[in-house]
Amino acid sequence: MSTVLEADTLLAIDVGSVNTRASLFDVVDGRYRLVATGRAASTAGVPLADVSEGVRAAVEQVQTVTGRKLIDEAESLIMPATPGGAGVDVFVATTSAGPPARTLLVGLMPGISVESARRLAASCYLDIAGELGLMDRRREDEKLDTIVQSKPDLVLVVGGTDGGASQSMLRLVDLVGSGLGLLPEEMLPRVVYAGNQKLVPEVSTRLGERFTVTAVPNIRPAIDQEELAAARQRLAEVIHDVRSSHISGFEELRQWSGGNLMNTADAFGRIVRYLSQVYDPGKGVLGIDLGSAHTTIAAAFAGDLRLFVRSDLGQGSALPGVLRHGTLADIQRWLPVEVAESRLRDYIFNKALHPGIVPAGTEELHIEYALARQVARTALELARSDWPRGKDSASHPLLPPMEPVLASGGVLARAPRPGYSALVLLDAVQPTGIATLVLDPYNLTPGLGVAAGPMPMAAVHALDSGSFVSLGTVVSPVGRARPGRPVLRLKLEREHGETTEGEIRHGQLAVLPLRQGEAGKLTLRPERGFDVGFGAPGKAGALRVTGGAVGLIIDARGRPLLGPRDSGRARDLNQKWLWDIGAME
Amino acid sequence: MSQETMLPITHVIPLTTVRREASLPAAGTVTARVNEKVQAGDVLAQAEPPARHYLLDMPRALGIPEKDASRHLRRQPGERVDSGDILAGPVGLGRRTLRAPAAGQVVGVDAGRILFEAHGDTVSLKAGYAGIVVATDGVQSVTLEATAALIQAVWGNGRQDHGVLRVAGGGATERLRTEDFDINLRGAVLVAGICVHTAPLHQATELSCRGLILGGLASDLIPVVRRLPYPVLVIEGFGDVPMNSAAYALLSGNAGREASLDGRVGGLYSTQRPEVIIPQTTNRQVSLPDEVVPLQPGVRVRAVQAPYQGLVGVVREVLMRAVAYPSGILARSARVDLEGLGPVNVPLANLEILQ
Repeated sequence: MSTVLEADTLLAIDVGSVNTRASLFDVVDGRYRLVATGRAASTAGVPLADVSEGVRAAVEQVQTVTGRKLIDEAESLIMPATPGGAGVDVFVATTSAGPPARTLLVGLMPGISVESARRLAASCYLDIAGELGLMDRRREDEKLDTIVQSKPDLVLVVGGTDGGASQSMLRLVDLVGSGLGLLPEEMLPRVVYAGNQKLVPEVSTRLGERFTVTAVPNIRPAIDQEELAAARQRLAEVIHDVRSSHISGFEELRQWSGGNLMNTADAFGRIVRYLSQVYDPGKGVLGIDLGSAHTTIAAAFAGDLRLFVRSDLGQGSALPGVLRHGTLADIQRWLPVEVAESRLRDYIFNKALHPGIVPAGTEELHIEYALARQVARTALELARSDWPRGKDSASHPLLPPMEPVLASGGVLARAPRPGYSALVLLDAVQPTGIATLVLDPYNLTPGLGVAAGPMPMAAVHALDSGSFVSLGTVVSPVGRARPGRPVLRLKLEREHGETTEGEIRHGQLAVLPLRQGEAGKLTLRPERGFDVGFGAPGKAGALRVTGGAVGLIIDARGRPLLGPRDSGRARDLNQKWLWDIGAME
Repeated sequence: MSQETMLPITHVIPLTTVRREASLPAAGTVTARVNEKVQAGDVLAQAEPPARHYLLDMPRALGIPEKDASRHLRRQPGERVDSGDILAGPVGLGRRTLRAPAAGQVVGVDAGRILFEAHGDTVSLKAGYAGIVVATDGVQSVTLEATAALIQAVWGNGRQDHGVLRVAGGGATERLRTEDFDINLRGAVLVAGICVHTAPLHQATELSCRGLILGGLASDLIPVVRRLPYPVLVIEGFGDVPMNSAAYALLSGNAGREASLDGRVGGLYSTQRPEVIIPQTTNRQVSLPDEVVPLQPGVRVRAVQAPYQGLVGVVREVLMRAVAYPSGILARSARVDLEGLGPVNVPLANLEILQ
């Protein structure tokens, strides 16, 4: 074992609703490197309803690639690593598989604790099946019926600042106790209490005899203070317990990981928050995970994480949800080919039936990436309503400067060319100023988020290594002009000597070759009224840029990106942008 | 440890043992006995799930102090009462009483308040198909077994019914039209190819059809289909998709027999799946269907994504190397002998095992 690093070998597992991925990290030349990955179909669903099979298949792939024995004859993980080179030192796991926990939300004040609870629920895999509150004007017996009819897997009780309201809180707790008492024994839910901490003993006394009560830190310890992170972590454990009652194998994962089992979204958010603490504090960091059953948007501003999980938006089983937030025309505007509304709608519903299907033909490919844009854009717009003031959609219609934009998800990872993923991110995120688009093709982020606890250096090294793909640096000038008018002059002096100069016009999407590993000095001279992030419109500046799989991207198509109303022209433009960014050959 | 590739499985089996557990929404009374032979329409169990709850204030209703309330209570928790029965009282000269607001039972009494549960309408659990009761918990669930043909679907509108199978329309690839209906189809379970218009659906309602089994359904009809009074099952998917030949042959070959349709959709994490059960008479012992079948040469599969959606074939080879497709995507694939097309490469992700 290394004397500098905490442990040598790390195996990370992510169990999604469609895929289970295994990633093995080892120390190479004193730094943690990704050694191998494996992917198998998840087995959380029927007929197996046991995540272990998918986990073993993914680990087996890693075993085959590396020749390193990881599983013993008893089908157990070999841990710690043996002197002979078998097994691993640390195992971490994340999961987003399983049905969302049906949750009854009980809170005191609608705009305060209940709002915080909704935010907490939106950052976990919870499905709000009912709400009860102090200001609820329904009769008490109607509230009891709400409890019974919501058939919750989990009851989340919040309210009261620490040392604050107690009588009204306890009345609500009693009501919850009466309502839950009406449920059959086999349907009794878990109760999570995240309110006034002084009432924990009393709440445990009143509910603890009949129900399993878990007290977690108050999510609103003071009227002007919201603390979701600690409660989220404990809540995740309860959610795992709830899922374990439906699906086998989670307990084994928990044992293997020695407690290092987290919700995928939570672990993803942890990395985004970490990045926001090491990158430019004047900018935020944005993470987008486009899953099959969920879309996660994690945004962090100098350590302030806003985590948002949508279970009604995803690229697979959750795909029909995109039609609840928009129209088919909203999706068609991203298509480079003509696809009838009926065909598009059929595709969406068929994808929900078979979340794992892949687009073999070009039309299906275009539909898939049009849907990815719309899902990501919708989730981002919804998430932005909860961002800090000044960054949120109400006070700042355009996306605030974000650096980097980190993206993951099967649809982005398996794109036939990096240009597809880059264009999806540009169209969905519409970054402003200067940003780097980073793709996590192996879905390493969640595993590294968990590893950041027991092995912080593994996370730091892996983020710096080539395991993440930089799609490129993007320059997005913000301002108003007629199409075709010059908006920017630029000069790229590559470190190996070659220099490119040019003028960018409004509406143009341009890529300058700058490969991964290459760097250069980029000088930008925006026209008056155009801001590229140097502090003011028209202000020029220079910066060091690094290359990526696509190159240096100049996106002068305007912010917000407004496509033409004519559907034919919109298709032509989408086709042109695919060419411009190198997605088509 | 297994190196085999597992794919989702859909059953289209001419003869198998079907074993299904059915449950009431709440505990009640199971009337069926183990080893009892039942018919599709037989009631196996009944319950009266709670419709709503009442909190009845005894001190207020009777005009008494809270401490005296328990003395005037006439019904104990768990005791069943009819609507209007006295729960507490009479009290005083006016002989004030508190009466049950509906048929139901007292659940509990706390601080002078009666928590009362009103019973809802009686819910019956019907057999759905002819079979034998093989297990029951005595209060809520019954397991029924039958020798039958089994055809699983991908989507259903949530309804259940049974009736005699009839073929409507011109075949698996044909769109269902209003002129395909005649009086002979009244009260039947219909098998058809594709439905893209509402008119045939309403025509089936007018003919009191007991169910409709389709290959493909236009997805814009989903809201309409959800409101139909009879079960609708979609075998293949949404759009202009014909029913796979194996399912169509099995269904049309059983025309004239009684079929049971269950259109409930359980989702990814539930064993509940829309399905057609057609009981068969045989003296043979037949096994339960395999729920896990490894992908290997000779296995029958169907494609679930364009361009081959709905086509059935046999796996010739599971390819070692990933294949590049016109979309540019690289995918692990199988060489499949698809009906009418011959051998083609299909991504494994776009295949299902048909057993």
